Amino acid sequence: MFKKALRTLAVTGTAALIMGAQAPEDILDALARKTNNAPYLVQSPQNRMMMPDNPAYDLVEDGERLFKTPRGPKNASLEKCDFGKGPGVLEGAYVELPRYFADAGKVMDLDARLAYCMKTLQGFTDADPAVARKHGSGSDVMKLQTYIAVKSSGMPWNPPLNHPLEKAMRDAGEVMFYRRSGIMDFGCVTCHTKEGARIRASVLPNIHKPDEWTKAISWPAYRISQENVRSSQHRLIECLWQMRYPNMKNGSDASIALLSFWTDAARGAPAILPDLKR
Amino acid sequence: MLKKTSIAAALATATAVLLVAGGCATPDTGKTEAAKPAQDASAAKPAQDTPKPKAVDYTAMTPAALAEYLIFESGSYELDQPTQEGTNGRARLVQDEIQKICSLKKGEELSDEARAKVMALAAASIKYPEGGIKLGDWKKGRELAWSGFGYRTAHNPDKHAGREAGGNCYNCHELATDRTGGTIGLTLTGFGKIRGSGPDMLKYAYDMIYNANTYFPCTSMPRMGANGVLNQQQITDIMAYLFDPASPVNK
Ligand code: HEC
Ligand code: HEC
Repeated sequence: MFKKALRTLAVTGTAALIMGAQAPEDILDALARKTNNAPYLVQSPQNRMMMPDNPAYDLVEDGERLFKTPRGPKNASLEKCDFGKGPGVLEGAYVELPRYFADAGKVMDLDARLAYCMKTLQGFTDADPAVARKHGSGSDVMKLQTYIAVKSSGMPWNPPLNHPLEKAMRDAGEVMFYRRSGIMDFGCVTCHTKEGARIRASVLPNIHKPDEWTKAISWPAYRISQENVRSSQHRLIECLWQMRYPNMKNGSDASIALLSFWTDAARGAPAILPDLKR
Repeated sequence: MLKKTSIAAALATATAVLLVAGGCATPDTGKTEAAKPAQDASAAKPAQDTPKPKAVDYTAMTPAALAEYLIFESGSYELDQPTQEGTNGRARLVQDEIQKICSLKKGEELSDEARAKVMALAAASIKYPEGGIKLGDWKKGRELAWSGFGYRTAHNPDKHAGREAGGNCYNCHELATDRTGGTIGLTLTGFGKIRGSGPDMLKYAYDMIYNANTYFPCTSMPRMGANGVLNQQQITDIMAYLFDPASPVNK
């Protein structure tokens, strides 16, 4: 019943207008056709059916409010935050992350950049729940991330590699992707380099196929099994957990290196945002 | 818009030196691990001293050197996190010889020399039960083969007290037809029925579970015996699940 409202929401962004207002499910369908129904993309007709009613749309609305409302000790909104395309420009910003930010002197992903702006513009500290609570649909961070990310839906992933640090992080991320260690000898390579391979009943995405890898990296996504909207950083931790690796800090340089490589691997393929996953 | 990006990038290139330290590190990195030498994390005391900014130029390192730096010295991983086997997170990230050789990038292939080395190291790692390989209890083996529990750490460490770590076989193999297994490895459905259970076949299966690199250098199958995930008894229980005519694998 709130389907209509959701649709309207999805197309209000300029992003959607520019891209011909393609809904995420239409982007997915087009990729499925293009790849002759890659098993990873078409594995769940039920999930595909739920996409128009994606609970992640609720976060978009909340995120927009949080973004525009003056908050924090400095009582400022986030409208002056520069996600790489100029202060306040959100259209297409997310598909060009991670990128180098001269003001911070480092390569940042969406999560790190958002935290940076909440601290510098709004005056929050790392300890404030607004910044510290990284996970769960109820967190400010996930609401804001979803609002920002959706403004890149349908646009091709295009993380910049002009700056030497961007290139360095991407290349180190590549090394880390193929690097095997731990009690199970796992590297990302073990599970994400074969097309159509399954872990149990789940078809795994192949990083060498941009048209299927784009769905893999299309976060925030609503995870049905967890009843929460999740971020890239969260997915990364879940894979590290399966790999028997130690905990990794949100926004750490190693995480950003991995995300730089995984985003580069989807270059040119359209982002599906918000996505809905198992 | 692309132009603007490259101008900004060009400007920034001039200052491609990165400060990595408590103060200017990313949100959750408020510790000083970045400034600590790589070797002594296990002995590290809680870092109270004021973080000393350490200038590290990521762009001056090779990708491999930067990866090692990020893993061990940037404060990214919780290197002190305890593991179930009594080591720490760092130990889970340090590579042994086989892992180093087997971290092949796309398009890279094992040299003949490396292949021989991995196979020799693997064969030498295998310890056999006293009195030879005898099949154990297939029901216990089934439990183990279908369990992915154990040794996971990260944000939600498995508590081994009161629960045995499993073999994860189902994640990668189809086993019996009553449940869905994975396809990263070959199907093992009907294994004993098809292959028989002669001494050579039993040794092959034992070796594969203990250290599959013996026959498949740089396989993605974990070294369950050599890495201490499964003990000899558990391996022979799982083997019974693969070979016993009464096991669902062979029905
Ligand atoms: C032991 C196997 C395994 C390893 C190793 C592994 N992953 Fe995963 N990965 C999975 C599984 C299982 C899923 C979830 C697929 C599903 O639920 O449909 C997944 C999901 C993902 C996804 C999102 C796709 C989705 O549909 O949920 C990404 C991106 C990803 N992994 C990246 C990585 C990276 C990067 C690494 C290395 C740091 C890694 N994975 C290591 C098994 C693995
Ligand atoms: C991460 C995935 C993975 C896990 C977990 C795994 N295997 Fe494997 N296994 C493989 C792969 C891949 C092969 C094929 C060898 C190759 O080509 O590298 C294999 C091969 C085998 C073979 C030889 C099959 C044949 O036809 O000759 C046996 C037997 C086997 N595995 C048993 C097991 C058992 C028992 C377990 C659980 C203790 C297990 N595997 C866990 C990936 C895995």
